[in-house]
Amino acid sequence: MKINLAELVGSVGNLVTLPDVFVRINRLVEDPNSTMADIARVASQDPSFTIRLLRVANSSFYGFSSTIDTVQKAVSIIGTSQIRSLALTTSVASAFEGLPNTLVSMENFWRHSLYCALAARILARQAGKLDPDALFTAALLHDIGELVIFNRIPQQAKEALLLVLDSADELPIYQAERQIMGFDHAQVGGELARQWKLPKMLEECIEYHHDIRSALHFPRETALVHIANVLALMAEVQTLNPDDVSPIDPIAWKIVGLNADEVLQPTVHEVQEEIAEAEKLFLGK
Amino acid sequence: MAILPVARPPLALPGFENIKRTWNRTFEAYAARLNPGEYYVTKNDEGIYTTLGSCISACIRDRVSGIGGMNHFMLPASTGEGGWKDAGLSSSTRYGNFAMEHLINEILKNGGSRQNLEVKLFGGGRIIANMTDVGTRNIAFARDYIRIEGLKVTSEDVGDVFPRMVVYFPATGKVRVKRLRSLHNNTIVEQEKTYLNKIEKEPVSGDIELF
Repeated sequence: MKINLAELVGSVGNLVTLPDVFVRINRLVEDPNSTMADIARVASQDPSFTIRLLRVANSSFYGFSSTIDTVQKAVSIIGTSQIRSLALTTSVASAFEGLPNTLVSMENFWRHSLYCALAARILARQAGKLDPDALFTAALLHDIGELVIFNRIPQQAKEALLLVLDSADELPIYQAERQIMGFDHAQVGGELARQWKLPKMLEECIEYHHDIRSALHFPRETALVHIANVLALMAEVQTLNPDDVSPIDPIAWKIVGLNADEVLQPTVHEVQEEIAEAEKLFLGK
Repeated sequence: MAILPVARPPLALPGFENIKRTWNRTFEAYAARLNPGEYYVTKNDEGIYTTLGSCISACIRDRVSGIGGMNHFMLPASTGEGGWKDAGLSSSTRYGNFAMEHLINEILKNGGSRQNLEVKLFGGGRIIANMTDVGTRNIAFARDYIRIEGLKVTSEDVGDVFPRMVVYFPATGKVRVKRLRSLHNNTIVEQEKTYLNKIEKEPVSGDIELF
């Protein structure tokens, strides 16, 4: 029996919820009348977020020269929109604990997402005119649809995985999913982002990371996450050979405005250097 | 321009008719798909492919005639008396011996010469964190076996934390090893566990066709 996309995503409504602190900060960031002090107040009302925030702010991940010891200082130095990103990124892994599955370990799932997030942040800095922290968040969330599929329709999800292996890893997973389910994890993730009312940029990056030509409002961000996803695979399986991983849509580099020959190799290496620290910070290891 | 699939795979050698073969677009050839515990030998210019977690595959061919094949096996966890290190004695290594012997014998039976054999080894990854490293054990067994047989490993990609996809063309010796992303770990582990349960339940006897 085929289940449709909206039903599938609707059925996880109670199992995964966005962290409250993100929802409240999100509202304030969108509100032109709010102040930095409002955001700092909301952030400091969540003690566990405060701890995570200060930990990340003082880590080599940001590399600030002075010690950031209060939420107020964090907000003024890091910036309000970045604080919003952090409210999401530092808790998204635990938010999805309500969607367990047997097909992929949460550790492996989030490690790939984190590789992708690190790659996206590095690429965004180099590309210019993009918010590296927002891209980090978008990339961290790019595969969340997979967790929905794995939890809600595990049998079909498994069939898709087997189809990929039977094809000698020729068939990309999203195409295998389309064959079996009629939709793929990117579309599921996009639908989830809509139901959650996540910023449109995140929604497009998630929904179109395998179909970048469909991204109408944030083509650059989406193309960047598409590239970051493949660089994440390279970092994961320790290769620089494009034949070892899924292909990058050649137009993606043009849209982002980066030269593959210049950035691919250093980005993969940088990601590999950062992953251990990032796992500690974002996945609570 | 894409090469259209040849209507039918080349004739399989006797005993290998049941191995599933499909057209592979990347390699523009038919390729046999091995599951854990299976092996395949061919005289044709066709591929053999499999996915490996902690299992190991030996790819062996006669480099002159091009006859060759691939196996896919692991040693069961139960060590039997004396442990797995007693090569050839414990019940555990018998499965490895079967897999290697059958592959080599089939190659020789179909015209291969022992002095022309070249061996490539793949797999033995540690794809589940915190699990005893069965991959290392499989690698050690395969290397020992090949050394004792007086054969040489000409290339290998073994160990580490990755599952692998191996595609091998005995006719040319060409091999393509692709490390797979961790998304596939559990699926591969499950296939290998099913295989392991099967061999641990079956009695070990020299006559039983286990592979």
